Amino acid sequence: MKKTKLGEFEELVLLTVAALQQEAYGVEIKRELESRLQEKLSVGSIQSALKRMEDKGFLTSKFGEATAKRGGKRKRIYATTSYGRKVLEEMKDIRTQLWSAIPKLAFELKAIG
Amino acid sequence: MKPQTLQPPHWPLKFLRFFLKKEYLEEIEGDMEEFFYENTERFSVGKAKRIYTWEMIKLLRPNLIKNFEFVNKIIQYSMIKNYFKVSVRGLLKSPVNSFINIFGLAAAIGFCIFFYAFVVYTFKRDQFHENKDVVFLTTFTASREGALRQYGLSPRPLGELLKQDFPQVTKVCRVEDRNVIVKHGDNIFNERIRFVDPTFLDMFTFPLKWGVSTSLTDLNSVVISEPMAEKYFGDENPIGQSILVKFTSENGKEFKITGVAKKFPSSRSFDFHFLVNFDNLRTAQPGFDFHDWSAFHQATFIQVAQPSDITMVEVGMSKYKRLQNEAVEKDWAIASFQFEPLATTHIKTDEIREDVFREGTHSNLTSIKFLSGICTLMLLLACFNYINIAISTSVKRLKELGVRKTIGATRRLVIVQFLSENIVVTFFAMLFGILLGWLVVIPWFEGLWHFSMEFSLNDPRLWMYLPVIMLITAIASGIYPAIYISRFQTVTILKGSVRFGQKNPITKIFLGFQLVLACMFITSAIVFTMNGDYLANRSWGYSNRDVLYTAVADESAFQQLNDVMQRNPKVLSISGSAQHIGKTHQTTVLHFPDKDFEADRLAVSPSYFKTMGIELAEGREFKDFDGSDKNAVVVNETMVKNLSWSNPLGQQFRIDSITYEVVGVAKDFHSYSFFSLLKPAFFTVADKKDFKFIALKVNREHEQSAFEDLKKSWVTLYPEIPFNGGYQEDVWGNYYEQMGIHGHVWRVFATVAVILAMLGLYGLVAINVSGRVREFSIRKILGADYKNISNNIFKQYYGLVTVSLFVGGPLSFFFIKSVLDFVYDYHMPLTIWVVVIAASLLVAVVVITVATQIIKVFKSNPVEGLKVE
Repeated sequence: MKKTKLGEFEELVLLTVAALQQEAYGVEIKRELESRLQEKLSVGSIQSALKRMEDKGFLTSKFGEATAKRGGKRKRIYATTSYGRKVLEEMKDIRTQLWSAIPKLAFELKAIG
Repeated sequence: MKPQTLQPPHWPLKFLRFFLKKEYLEEIEGDMEEFFYENTERFSVGKAKRIYTWEMIKLLRPNLIKNFEFVNKIIQYSMIKNYFKVSVRGLLKSPVNSFINIFGLAAAIGFCIFFYAFVVYTFKRDQFHENKDVVFLTTFTASREGALRQYGLSPRPLGELLKQDFPQVTKVCRVEDRNVIVKHGDNIFNERIRFVDPTFLDMFTFPLKWGVSTSLTDLNSVVISEPMAEKYFGDENPIGQSILVKFTSENGKEFKITGVAKKFPSSRSFDFHFLVNFDNLRTAQPGFDFHDWSAFHQATFIQVAQPSDITMVEVGMSKYKRLQNEAVEKDWAIASFQFEPLATTHIKTDEIREDVFREGTHSNLTSIKFLSGICTLMLLLACFNYINIAISTSVKRLKELGVRKTIGATRRLVIVQFLSENIVVTFFAMLFGILLGWLVVIPWFEGLWHFSMEFSLNDPRLWMYLPVIMLITAIASGIYPAIYISRFQTVTILKGSVRFGQKNPITKIFLGFQLVLACMFITSAIVFTMNGDYLANRSWGYSNRDVLYTAVADESAFQQLNDVMQRNPKVLSISGSAQHIGKTHQTTVLHFPDKDFEADRLAVSPSYFKTMGIELAEGREFKDFDGSDKNAVVVNETMVKNLSWSNPLGQQFRIDSITYEVVGVAKDFHSYSFFSLLKPAFFTVADKKDFKFIALKVNREHEQSAFEDLKKSWVTLYPEIPFNGGYQEDVWGNYYEQMGIHGHVWRVFATVAVILAMLGLYGLVAINVSGRVREFSIRKILGADYKNISNNIFKQYYGLVTVSLFVGGPLSFFFIKSVLDFVYDYHMPLTIWVVVIAASLLVAVVVITVATQIIKVFKSNPVEGLKVE
């Protein structure tokens, strides 16, 4: 785990990429995340996260088709690598384990208090 | 509001393309565009654009933008801050050296600013005229005495014909000046008024303060300059007031003031005091023939639509040349017509004869060359000081350097550090320099010559010039020390085995060079001061100390004044003349059987020689009775020489159709100032009815009271006519003042140069001595006396000073000789003693400078010296 260094925002972006599959390119990722998080995101933050994760090897990318809407520029479609998926699963496991480790009572007490 | 196009704004995209990594560009550009169009569906186009722009700015993230070189440089920003801190600390730590550096550079920069102001002043002359490129002065060239000369005059009918014959010529303005008397109430003055065509104020840009410029079409209106308005009317608006202009004693005309010009720009070579319609010449001079080809107007200006049109006009001028040459005598035939654009005429006014321009910039151009030399030398002196002190003090900074190099400063960085320190110093120097130039040097210079350069700090070009000067100075003074110091190896520095600073040959060469320059400046100052005295006492060839003169209207006025002044016991002799030395002369062409010759003619009464104190070399004066010597002339020695007469007496020549014979040779006299060469001149007997001047020789002790008497008699005789006379010594106006100014300027230059050189020397000696404090302390403890220590310190400078003087002495001599020959046609004989005096002065100053340090060493307690470190 210690080598992976997946930030919280990066994790969200990575999950979105995984969910969107063939549709995973900049604007779509942004749209999807914005609707789920109910907040505005900047193009810069998404792009920067994507590029960082590509460098770390969680993502690969290839050019997709160009549309008129994009002024003739091609999309870049992102896809998770198997390493990326592994890291995501690891994160999920860690979280699940942690959740299960919380005693029910403590949680309820907290809810009352 | 203009309609919003449905396209993302351009500049953020350009911005993005510049900053973003190439490989990301296509994708992100596409994303942004898609995002933008999506937004246009939800928001207004304007808002979509704003969002787009803002998103672009937010894309500036370290992992998205290119790797710029400067990004790495910015990381060194803290280093630069450190350099700055170190240099300010360095400045504060050794205030004496800092003062020498900053003051020296500031003085030099002050002079550079003055130089700049002078250049701007010179080159903006007459440039305020909006039509400067399309208004031309008509000139002609003619061959006189074998040389082709250019004249600013033009044949009288030419202006009107040019207007008729050339469609390219849009406006024509003829100019004619007359001396008149102007009267308003009790104010009566001699004035020069300008008769011009009404186009004058259209062609030349002289905006009016009051009144309308079209009023000149009216024959009864006059437009005056601001100083004239003040002279006659004080501060009030004179529009509508009348002045009486007396063309001659009987012929006068009332003019109504219809315009007052705004203050003229100080950098001008052409202006006016009074402007009246050209047709008034008919009133002023009944019978004035406007169509006489053999007579000239003082100037004819033409205006064309395009600057290039003038070539068409020039081509068509040959027919006028023929007309002109048919009308005049053979010796006045002209060679060609030429047109001088208003924009550049000021440069040529010294070459164009008899033009209406006041004064040209020709002499200024010479001064500019000269001043640029002086300023460069001053800067050099200051830079040498800086270099010397920087090298000598660097020994104290070796440790710092060693540490810097150890922790990773490359040699390049060390050079950058030293240069940036230098820029700090130069920057401070520039601040002081601006103040110095602005508040001291420029006002000083303007005060000397009584003019305003209209210098203002509010000049964008100045702020381009200054940083350039600053950078050049900083680099020129800093690059050598920086390279020199950065060369040392870290290990040797830290081991402490580097010893230098005291015996650097470059330092000595620079110091020597400074001494040479100082020697040159001192010599110039001495020579110009002495030359001023010399010229003040030099004989003019006539007595100028006890002669009074005044202009008179005519023969009867001469007679009246003559009768009154004859009775005055202070007056020794009185003469009348048509021309008067120093005031007027008549340029005349003399015909010899084989050639023509141009000379200045002075028509005088026979007693003129006695009154003016002109001595004869051979022959006789004119005989003193009515009708004597009608055909006799007395020539001056220059004329004899130029005509290479071995036996001048009895020589004959023709003027117009009358033959004259030489009866005497007068010793040379200066009818011009010493700035110009003697010219051939000759005297003829004046007809009494031509008398225009009266000259009085008076008792020297009573010169002043005689002058008062003369003025009083004038006022009683002619209350209506202003007095127009003076002391003969004043005919050159501010000539003596000019002489004084030359000396003054050179003394200032020399003082500054000497101060700079001495500051440098002082700095070097001080550093040298402080570096040897322990040595001197030990010497003193061991019993060294005053002499011993002085010898020890002086020893280093003997050779240097001797060599400098041996180089500087002869150099100064030849330098000043060429300057004198260039500036004056007549100057004092130059002797080697001048240089000897300069050298001794320099040596004295050097000794005093070094002595201050010796005294310091001698007075110090050796114990204190040994306790150091």
